[in-house]
Amino acid sequence: MKVSKIADTCVTYIILIVVCFIFFFPCLWLILASFSKSGSIYSFEGFFPSSYSLDTFRTLFTDTAMYNYPRWFRNTLFIAVMSCLVGTFLTILTAYTMSRFQFGARKTMMKTTLILGMFPSFMGMIAVYIIMTQFGLINNMWGLILIYSANAPMGYLTQKGFFDTIPSSIDEAARIDGATNFQVFTRINLPISMPIIVYTALTSFTFPWSDFILPKLLLKEKDLYTVAVGLMSLGDTEFARFAAGAVFIAVPIVILYFCLVKFMVNGMTAGAVKG
Amino acid sequence: MSTRMKPNKKVKASMCLMGLGQLMYGQVGKGLLYLGVLALGIAYFVFRGGADLVGLFTLGTREMDTWLGIEGDNSVVMLLMGILAVIALLLLAAVHISNVRDARETQRIVERGGRPAAFKEDAKQLLDKKFYKTVLFLPVLGVCVFNILPIIFMIAIAFTNYGGSIVPPKLVDWVGVDNFVQITTLSQFAPTFGRILSWNLIWAVCSTALNYFAGLGLALLLNKDCVKGKVFWRSFPILAYAVPGFITMLGFKFMFSYGGPINQLITAAGHRAVGFLDIDAKWIARFIGLGVNAWVSVPSIMLLATGILSNRDMSLMEAARIDGATPWQQFRRITLPFVLFSTTPVLLGQFIGNFNNFGVFYFLRGGLYIDGYFLASDTDLLINWLYNLSISNNYYNIGAAISLVIFLITSLISLIIYTRSASYKEEDTFR
Repeated sequence: MKVSKIADTCVTYIILIVVCFIFFFPCLWLILASFSKSGSIYSFEGFFPSSYSLDTFRTLFTDTAMYNYPRWFRNTLFIAVMSCLVGTFLTILTAYTMSRFQFGARKTMMKTTLILGMFPSFMGMIAVYIIMTQFGLINNMWGLILIYSANAPMGYLTQKGFFDTIPSSIDEAARIDGATNFQVFTRINLPISMPIIVYTALTSFTFPWSDFILPKLLLKEKDLYTVAVGLMSLGDTEFARFAAGAVFIAVPIVILYFCLVKFMVNGMTAGAVKG
Repeated sequence: MSTRMKPNKKVKASMCLMGLGQLMYGQVGKGLLYLGVLALGIAYFVFRGGADLVGLFTLGTREMDTWLGIEGDNSVVMLLMGILAVIALLLLAAVHISNVRDARETQRIVERGGRPAAFKEDAKQLLDKKFYKTVLFLPVLGVCVFNILPIIFMIAIAFTNYGGSIVPPKLVDWVGVDNFVQITTLSQFAPTFGRILSWNLIWAVCSTALNYFAGLGLALLLNKDCVKGKVFWRSFPILAYAVPGFITMLGFKFMFSYGGPINQLITAAGHRAVGFLDIDAKWIARFIGLGVNAWVSVPSIMLLATGILSNRDMSLMEAARIDGATPWQQFRRITLPFVLFSTTPVLLGQFIGNFNNFGVFYFLRGGLYIDGYFLASDTDLLINWLYNLSISNNYYNIGAAISLVIFLITSLISLIIYTRSASYKEEDTFR
């Protein structure tokens, strides 16, 4: 019994170490590559650069003639922040309404969103492109923000699952005291739904942050590139630049995730339970 | 409204002319609002919508001719505007119905001795009883314009000959189910379609199973009592989870490229470089795809499973252990059914997500066309083919038809899983 237990523990740890190595190694590889002295992937010795320096980061921000990384970064940040604000607002409101109000079209709307989710995600891209040309929003960052925010409420189910778990007796008590539905939402439900708001904000920030299809389709000018599109245009010889650019935008997100991982798990589990 | 009541004159007035009944009840603000909407609607149809509706059927009659100086019709814009006109018509009808309903409601109130609601009170209701209407207006509008309209448009495109050489300024026409016949029979499309579809199904099943069980296994492993420092161990998968997907994919592409580190090690050991993602690397590339996809998706499943496992009823496990169940039996009979039950929707979502997993092969082998495939490679999924056809190569009609096929497959599968799954049949098993 004792021996088998020790063996079990050993095997567990060995597997854990292997798994963690698998997850960690590519990250480490990119981080080290971003500090390499020479830019091309061909000058590496196996996985690791032959010499290290901070040059790549310096050129990333100063050598902007061909690859204007600061510009890409500003574009991405702008699009992601705006989409996150509008998208979160709309998603939370939609989820709350779907969870709390019983109205005629509710079931139909829920079924419709389910069916719409079954269509391939960029099936309508061409139509979106034509609509955007009609609105004159091609090569305009607001066009992207509009599309991201408008599509955000489609993913309201997780948030609805969360609101379903808040007992409605609180609402009823407030209603009896004379609060309107608007007040019930802003004064009672909103303050206790911080976790789900954080979760929603995070997901609606990271999607535009790392999306590449829409920006590629709608922003044709080089000045309007987002980081994702810009990094995709880098080849083998610019590998260090790619790594540095990738590390630079991944670090904030990674820190954000680690701070908010508790909210993430709560949000995901809330949405997973059928409601 | 359960008791049948005879509509009075004012309600009938509303039926004939939107807002008239409201005006007769003295609800000036609301009446004018309805009338205004009607006026706007009529103006739209007179000046633009009517022609758009006709255009939806003809898709343009005058072809552009630069020699004669004829400015032709743009069929695609006409199609889109025609659909918009249909939606506008439906909206107008919906407003009309709401107007009649509203008039009847007022009639009921008045017949019971009340007085018609003032405009201000109605407006107030929008923050209270009808709060949902206020709130849902914007999201519904957004989803209609940027989700439903494009989808309807593409469904329509699937039945036209828009694509290839027939793009504006040439005129597009309705062709019925020709496109579907083409993808299933024409030698240009059919073999590619069959090959891609079968690989797509294999891929969806394999990658979902791999990700799901690896994620679940990792969560169980981290949940073991003997593991110390769980936060530390868990942080590695979370790290992988947090890195934006396109960075991961591009990174792996560099890793497996000809000049990449793996090939450098191979050449340093005296062997020839391997084209992991090259034209003839069919199964190697497929397995790399599976692995990369697992690297990206396993952590999220692990997090989810961790959350679900913490809700597990431990007394059941305890009882099973006292009765002499082995760990495997405990897993097989208690944990797995519970987790499967709680995660059926997630599993389904994963399956659909993997079926339509665009990113992996787009980044690893994007833009590669292989002999025997029409504008696709042997790792491409239907969605990649769809992209190649419609966005890179203008075969819009074929792309749209394929989208519909994808939709049919995914919805059919979801329907089957949903109606057969335990969590659908017996909702309360674990509550």
